[in-house]
Amino acid sequence: MNYPLAQRMERMKASEIRELLKLTRRPEVISFAGGLPAPEAFPVREMQEVAGRMLGSRGCEVMQYSTTEGEADLRAWIAARMNGRLGTSVTPDEVLVTSGSQQGLDLTGKVLLDEGDSVLCESPTYLAAIQCFSAYRATFVEVPTDDDGMLPEELDRRLRAAYRPKIVYVIPDFQNPSGRCWSLERRRRFMDVVSRHDVVVVEDNPYGELRFEGVALPSLKALDGRGQVVHLSTFSKILCPGLRVGWVAAPAALLEKYVLVKQGADLHTSTLAQRLAADYVQRYDLDAAIARIRELYRRRRDAMVAALEHELPAGTRFTRPAGGLFLWLELPGVVSGRELLVRCLEHDVAFVPGGAFFPNGGHENTARLNFSNMPEPRIEEGVRRLARALREMLAEAAQADRVSS
Amino acid sequence: MELTIDRDGREPVYRQISRQIRELVASGALPPGFRLPPERRLAEALGVNRSTVLRAYDELKGDGLVDAHVGRGTTVLPPRRPAAPAPQEVPPLPWRQLFRQVGPEALDPLVRDLLSQAERRDGISLAVGLPATELLPADELRAALHALFEKVGPRLLQHAPTEGHMPLRETIATLVATRGVLCSPAEVLVLSGSQQGLDLAARVFVDPGDVVVVEEPSFFGGLQAFRAAGARLVGVPVDEEGMRTDLLEWVLGRHRPKLIYTLPTFQNPSGAVLSLERRHRLLDLAARFGVPVLEDDPYSDLRYSGDPLPPLKALDTHGCVMYLSTFSKVLSPGLRLGFLIAPRPAHRQLVLAKQAVDLHASTPGQWLVDRFLREGRYQAHLGRVRRAYAARLLAMDQALRACAPAGMSWQQPDGGFYVWCRLPAEVDPRLLAERAAAAGVGYLPGRPCFASPPPEEYVRLNFSHSEPDLIREGVRRLCRALGEATQARDAAAAAETRPLV
Repeated sequence: MNYPLAQRMERMKASEIRELLKLTRRPEVISFAGGLPAPEAFPVREMQEVAGRMLGSRGCEVMQYSTTEGEADLRAWIAARMNGRLGTSVTPDEVLVTSGSQQGLDLTGKVLLDEGDSVLCESPTYLAAIQCFSAYRATFVEVPTDDDGMLPEELDRRLRAAYRPKIVYVIPDFQNPSGRCWSLERRRRFMDVVSRHDVVVVEDNPYGELRFEGVALPSLKALDGRGQVVHLSTFSKILCPGLRVGWVAAPAALLEKYVLVKQGADLHTSTLAQRLAADYVQRYDLDAAIARIRELYRRRRDAMVAALEHELPAGTRFTRPAGGLFLWLELPGVVSGRELLVRCLEHDVAFVPGGAFFPNGGHENTARLNFSNMPEPRIEEGVRRLARALREMLAEAAQADRVSS
Repeated sequence: MELTIDRDGREPVYRQISRQIRELVASGALPPGFRLPPERRLAEALGVNRSTVLRAYDELKGDGLVDAHVGRGTTVLPPRRPAAPAPQEVPPLPWRQLFRQVGPEALDPLVRDLLSQAERRDGISLAVGLPATELLPADELRAALHALFEKVGPRLLQHAPTEGHMPLRETIATLVATRGVLCSPAEVLVLSGSQQGLDLAARVFVDPGDVVVVEEPSFFGGLQAFRAAGARLVGVPVDEEGMRTDLLEWVLGRHRPKLIYTLPTFQNPSGAVLSLERRHRLLDLAARFGVPVLEDDPYSDLRYSGDPLPPLKALDTHGCVMYLSTFSKVLSPGLRLGFLIAPRPAHRQLVLAKQAVDLHASTPGQWLVDRFLREGRYQAHLGRVRRAYAARLLAMDQALRACAPAGMSWQQPDGGFYVWCRLPAEVDPRLLAERAAAAGVGYLPGRPCFASPPPEEYVRLNFSHSEPDLIREGVRRLCRALGEATQARDAAAAAETRPLV
């Protein structure tokens, strides 16, 4: 039969890129496309120990329903961690445990967005956030962004001009896809601008703990004098992604709505997953585990940066992120990221073309590369293949130019 | 204190120094009271002029970040609260205007309140739809989880596909075959609990203002999910044989709904089972009007008497049924694992929606349930809980027979979790809520289970969660409260002023 879909599904299509990336599952392909944390950093032994202990002592409770807000000790731990690391003053009551931080995004849309409302975001921004807010038929307003973060004057102008601005969505620490980290001054000026508008700031912070150098900066939520910042984060990048445990920290008036909406979405987050995370952080040294992850990713970042510097043809620029999982490539203007990906697949290397990260299109000559998920020699080989594919395309473009003139 | 100077940068050197110190202070790396190095020493260390460092320190002093005293040097001051604006200048956010307009009435704290009620130690909750905690197979699950960590290691903690862990999808296809549903693993979508299936179906099919046909009464979590998507609910009454399909044709013709939501087997809350004849009738009508059916089937494995009937999905020859079920009622609610079996075109959209919602269900729970089922433990466990719940149902039925007030009626169901009771007409539901709370017994009031206000009052009583003695005591307390709610009402009526005619 013909399924009478809702109109909102029109904007939810399996993307062409996703289809292309299915081709990268062959083992010979070196893929910089994923955003996967490195499995060798997962604390498997510790988790096994935690699981045995947990099911032994409180077995049946762990299998029973829990509250929508989440496990109390986990919420307390999250609040304390945020306050210690980010300079916030969050109480456990202001924390909701979510089924990964993707759910934090979705609940945000469900609580705040009506059709046509404007979401202001960095340019580029996180792909899954674009997809998520698109499902609520939001309009995206991209705000020009430089290496220090979103440009405050540009944001102010757009907030004044946008139709029903509801959300400013930002990733100030080691952004996906660009790897950028906002400066302290920019954070202050950003908060100064938004405090003059009735909008909610959604600060997505999955990567803040993965800083390879320099010092941690206060989060936007720490600079929030008006109670307008919703902070999203997750255990996916500091512990492991399979648990699907993340959190929302929001002012009480707002969090109450998040809880009700979550109740209709999935009742609560897996108790088993919450207990694994909560018992792990209480029994083991998470900081030591994060330090290991940082060291691993820093070496991989170094390898990728060095290889890119060595291999890439002139006219290509890239970011040197001080943390996170990704770096961002700007290709010579004549090269489209999508076409380069097709060519790269012939060379058994893959990445995500950058155009997908711009909700309103354009910027096709860009690419996102992930460096967290493979050992250095493979990174170096992958970059060599990518550079080879790029040089081929540039040579062809030059030849086509000569022929046409 | 480590600073780096970029001599080729555009930023003046003194600003580089002041900025980095500022960041170190903000991050807490330089705590209040920290003494900055003397200007001369820092100047030497960085290889810059002393006047440059002096200028940087002066700027920090001007901004109130540090203080300088002769003899004590330059020290970091305690932080000022980050620019807290004066209240009259920046009013609090107008939250109500920022909240979404669609379906606000659907934000009903009922479920949250029910779950917290289950945690009250003093009372007896007949309200929740939970399995018995002491019957959950914790030991078996622990052993299975331990073995999995040994065997699969990091993969247990890694991302899984949005559609679900493939071996579990195969296991689910095998499980539903025992209920008569034949499907390919490709049609299975693993969910983070079956509530998510309701949410996804609402997203995929319902635009604001669209009609969804529901049973009356129905599962309140389903009604809530559709309302939240902006649906208009049109109810079709349920009798002893389930949904009144004789009324369905008219409803489908008149309202052109986007979806039919039904719980044909041990319906929540009524316990009714849709008869075989009506199952066929429902499917014929759905196919004729081109309306997809969402069949919610959490309870069909929990049959205590009578012969099983095939799910709608098993009888569906037109590909119009999406079949929703869960592991929460038999295995473990805390794992939050459910599944949806849908024809390819619908499956595809549901997967896209799920990807935007939470990427995928928690990985270790998926491996765990898969292993549990593959080891053949599900059917054995099912046998145990069935026997226990049958005894609990009996206890509840007997207690009701012993102490229900006149005018109260109920049907003993063949399966599921609930006894659905119609209250005597004289009972005031608000008074009942008060008296039952005072007596320490919880129940689910009937009203939230209806799309439109019902003509009669009901309560839904759960018999799976509490042990038989507690059930008997709970029913006694409830019946006492019922009596009080009736008498008190009579008294209130007597006190009313009646016009003289």
